[in-house]
Amino acid sequence: MQENAKRDGVFYKIFATILLIIPWIAYLWITTYDKAQPTLFGITFFYWYQTAWLVISSILYAIAAYLIYRGEKQ
Amino acid sequence: MIGILGWISFIIFFLLFTFLGFYGAKWRRGDLSKLHEWALAGRRLGAFLAWFLIGADVYTAYTFVAVPSGMFASGALYFYAVPYVATTFMVAMITMPRLWQWSREKGYVTAADMVEDRFKSKLLAGLVAITGIVAELPYIALQIVGMQAVLGVMLLGITSNVKLVSDIALTVSFIILAAFTFTSGLRGATLGAVLKDILIFISVISLIIIIPLKFGGFSSAFTEAQSFASALSAKHITWLSTGITYLKPLPALEAGYTTLWIGSTFALFLYPHSINGSLSASGKKQLAISDAFLPIYGIGLALLALLGLLAYSDKAAMSLLSKFPLSSMGIYSIPALAVSSLPDWFAGVVLLGIFVGGLVPAAIMAIAQANLLTRNIIKPFKPEIKPETETRISKWASVIFKFIALGFVFIVPATYAIQLQLLGGIIILQTLPPVFLGLVTNKLNKYALMAGLISGIASGIYLVEVANKFGPLSTSLYHLGGYLIWIGILALAINLAVTIIFSLPKIIKK
Repeated sequence: MQENAKRDGVFYKIFATILLIIPWIAYLWITTYDKAQPTLFGITFFYWYQTAWLVISSILYAIAAYLIYRGEKQ
Repeated sequence: MIGILGWISFIIFFLLFTFLGFYGAKWRRGDLSKLHEWALAGRRLGAFLAWFLIGADVYTAYTFVAVPSGMFASGALYFYAVPYVATTFMVAMITMPRLWQWSREKGYVTAADMVEDRFKSKLLAGLVAITGIVAELPYIALQIVGMQAVLGVMLLGITSNVKLVSDIALTVSFIILAAFTFTSGLRGATLGAVLKDILIFISVISLIIIIPLKFGGFSSAFTEAQSFASALSAKHITWLSTGITYLKPLPALEAGYTTLWIGSTFALFLYPHSINGSLSASGKKQLAISDAFLPIYGIGLALLALLGLLAYSDKAAMSLLSKFPLSSMGIYSIPALAVSSLPDWFAGVVLLGIFVGGLVPAAIMAIAQANLLTRNIIKPFKPEIKPETETRISKWASVIFKFIALGFVFIVPATYAIQLQLLGGIIILQTLPPVFLGLVTNKLNKYALMAGLISGIASGIYLVEVANKFGPLSTSLYHLGGYLIWIGILALAINLAVTIIFSLPKIIKK
C-alpha cells in the first residue's frame, strides 16, 4: 500500500513538472507567434496570442499546485 | 491638466489610502516590535491576500510607466513583459515554497539569512544583502518617476513651475508613506495594495474598452503610430524600431526578446521585495496557489502595454503628450490617455491608482532593504542586539531608504532613472547562484560563489557600458554573433561558470 502511494506521489510530481514546463515551450517557440495574422478585435496575433497564454499558464499552474500539495493543509 | 472634480476624487482616494495604511497597525493585531510581525505581517497572509501583495510587486510603476513607455517609443520588443510574468510565477512556485518552509523552521526573514546558514558564510550573505539593497534603489526611483508622471500631467497648465510643485507633493506623499510604513509595516502596505489593485483593475479595463470604441480601435492606432514613426525617421530619429503590429521577425531581435523575458523571469524572485512578499504567506500551499493564479494578473500588464500603442489613436492625448520632450513622452502616455478620454472625476481615480501604484511597491521595497541592512549587514558586527532593537533599526532604515530614493530622483533626470532600472535587473540576477542554487545544493564553495557574484556584476556593468559605447544608457542588449542578447544572461553565464569551476574541488571531494 505504502509503495503504491509513493509511486503515485512520483507520478503526480512528474505530471506537475510537465504542466509547469508547457508555457515555457509556448513562449520560447517565438516563430510560431511573431506575426500579425489572424487578428482578434483588431489586435494582431503577436499580442493576443501571448496574452491568451497567460490564462492557459494560470490554469496549468493551478492544476500543478493542486497535484503537488494534494492533501496538505499548509 | 485635469478639472476640479478630478482633483477632488484624487484627494478623497488618497485620504482613504492613508487611512488604510495607518489602520494596518490595528488589523490582525500583532506585536509590531517583532521583526517578522512588522516586516512579514506575522506570516499570516492567506492565498488571496498574498495574491494581492505579491501582485503588487509586479504591478508597479514598471507596469504603468516603463512598459507602456517602451511600447510607445520602441514598439513590440517591450511586450517581453508578458511572457516574463507568465513564467516568473512558475519559478516562484518551485523556489518560494521551499524558502518559506525553511524560513518558518529556522526563523529567516531574508534570502541572505538562508544563504548565510546554507553556506556558513556571513561575508557571502553580506554580499548578497548589499547587492539586493543596491539593485532595489533604482527600482524605488522608478516608482517615484511614475508618480512624477501623474503629477506632471495633473499640474500641466495649472502652475508654471510644475517641477517645484510636483517635488513638494512627492515629498509630502513620502512623509505620509514613511509614517505609516513605520507604524504598520507590511500590514499597511498590504491593505494599500488591495485598494490600489481594485482601482487599477477598474482603470485598465475601462481604458481598454473606451479608447478603442472612441478612436477606431487598434488598426487606426497602428496606422497612426506608423505615420508618427515615419515623420520622425524623416528627421533621422529612430522611433518604434522594433515593430508596431508584431516584433520585426529578425533572428537578432527575437533572441533579444527571448533573453529579456527569460532573464527577467529569474530576476523577479531574487529581488528582496518579492521574497519578502512570499515569506509573508500563511503557508506553502497558500503561497503556491497564489503564485499559480498570478499570471492572470498579467493580463492587466498586457493591456497596459497595448495602451502604450493605443495612445497614438487619441488625438487629444497626443497633443497633451507633445507638450513634453520626445525622450520622456512615453512615461506620460497612460496618465495622458486617462485625462484625455475619461470624465474628470474618473480620470482622478485612475491617476490616483497609478500614483499609489508607485507608493505601495516603494513601501514594500524599502521594508525589504531595511531587513537586509539590519539582519545581514549590521547584525554580523553586533550579534548581541536585541530583537526589539533590530526591529527599531529596520523601521528607521526603511524611512531612510525611501528618502535616499527620493533624493536620487530629484537629482537624476527621469529618463536616466528608467535606464538605471535596467542595471538593477542585471545586478540582482547575479544573486541566483547563492539563492536559487542554494535551495537545491550546499555543495558549492562559498568563495567560488563570492567570486562568481562579483565577476557577474562587474562583467554585467562593463558589458552595459560597452553596449552603450560608454555614453548614456539606452540599451541592455549586447550584439553577440549576430544575435542581441540581454546582458543579464551573459553576466549570469560568466557568474555560473566561475562559481562552478571554483566549486569543482568541493563537488568532486564529496
